[in-house]
Amino acid sequence: MTAIVFEGEPITLDEGETVLDGLLRLGHSIPHGCRSGVCQSCLLSATEIDKVANAQTGLSEAQKQLNFFLGCQCLPTEAMTVARVDADVSRIKATVMEKTQLNDQVWRLRLTADLDYRPGQYVTLWRDENLARSYSLASTHEQPWLEFHIRHYPEGEFSSWLVESLSKDDTLELNGPLGQFFYTAQSEDPMLMIAMGTGLAPIWGIVNEALMKQHRGPIEVVVGAKQAKDFYYREELGALQAQFDNLQVHWLSLDSDSPETANLYDYCQSNFSQLSDHKVYLCGGTSFVKKLRRYAFMAGASMRDIYADTFIAFGGEPG
Amino acid sequence: MSIYEKIGGEAAVDAAVDIFYRKVLADDRINEFFDTVDMESQHTKQKAFLTMAFGGPNSYTGKDMREAHKNMKLTEDHFNAVAENLVATLQDLNVGQEEIDAIIAVCLTVKDDVLNV
Repeated sequence: MTAIVFEGEPITLDEGETVLDGLLRLGHSIPHGCRSGVCQSCLLSATEIDKVANAQTGLSEAQKQLNFFLGCQCLPTEAMTVARVDADVSRIKATVMEKTQLNDQVWRLRLTADLDYRPGQYVTLWRDENLARSYSLASTHEQPWLEFHIRHYPEGEFSSWLVESLSKDDTLELNGPLGQFFYTAQSEDPMLMIAMGTGLAPIWGIVNEALMKQHRGPIEVVVGAKQAKDFYYREELGALQAQFDNLQVHWLSLDSDSPETANLYDYCQSNFSQLSDHKVYLCGGTSFVKKLRRYAFMAGASMRDIYADTFIAFGGEPG
Repeated sequence: MSIYEKIGGEAAVDAAVDIFYRKVLADDRINEFFDTVDMESQHTKQKAFLTMAFGGPNSYTGKDMREAHKNMKLTEDHFNAVAENLVATLQDLNVGQEEIDAIIAVCLTVKDDVLNV
């Protein structure tokens, strides 16, 4: 018999009983399927990584780093603490440190809050009990703030509140971090990162973390936008590119004079046609991510090396 | 020793699943069925399927197979196309003909469920 703690509740597992079976026996609702470590439905997270390492077969590098494991494969021999993945809904207070307009549509918000995260993950920001939106973290640990790139939708309730009403020193609440979109590559791995619009936010965070961790493999960053005037952080990325030989940034807009750079999908297919052994990061809208994921996979990237972050519409409402 | 162990266990499935899924997506006879599915979860299902076909640990049942392919109006040609892609994948990985035959024999046991007949 082994005692474990599940989301604060002490649970005693029977001899030879997996974590999944124990939780189900006690009536907890845990998604599950094959019970063979294959379907990955019963993903859980643990506080202590060394105790679940043998229940992580088949998981992605990001999932392993987040201490995720498969409940159906885990037979604990000593006490451990487990929870559902992304179960943490407790909110913390954040204070507005800076709010800056980057272009016609995009605002940069910097908050101070005590949050442990990986650049590229996302948090949910709350205006009040009824209104919340998720945004990706563009900052790195070296910066004493959390940075977000927020697109202003004139019809969007949250972004309009943020642009029109929120000011320095105001406080708001956030919860997270969430998601598996962060730097997990080995130093020599080639990386291809493709962002549409404010999809640049997590990618900016990940690029900075990779370079700070002395990533040595080539990093190609492709930034797409409808119009060239929608780009932001051109100077910042240019400065990074000047500083690091292995970083190359490509700016592609639909209104480009050059037909060669007007179509992001074609551009990637012809310039990055061989992606085996690459780590690929994609961030943008649903159809963008879907199309690019297929391209990256067909170009040879392994499915587990393709990381995707998709903008979510909250209840179908604009941001 | 099961075929699963013989050809290298989970590592073999990992190597096979990307190649197999890529072939399926490139095959105009069947790729329309995959246009609307989420690639990541489909990839996980493909892995479960291959694990089963290789005789590895699984709890795939005929009922799952039947349910998953319901209302897709699949024909014998579709089934054969998938099987061909699987054979080509195994050949790419230098799996012996004897093992390939055994793997296809496993696939044939779920054929009626897949076709919902």
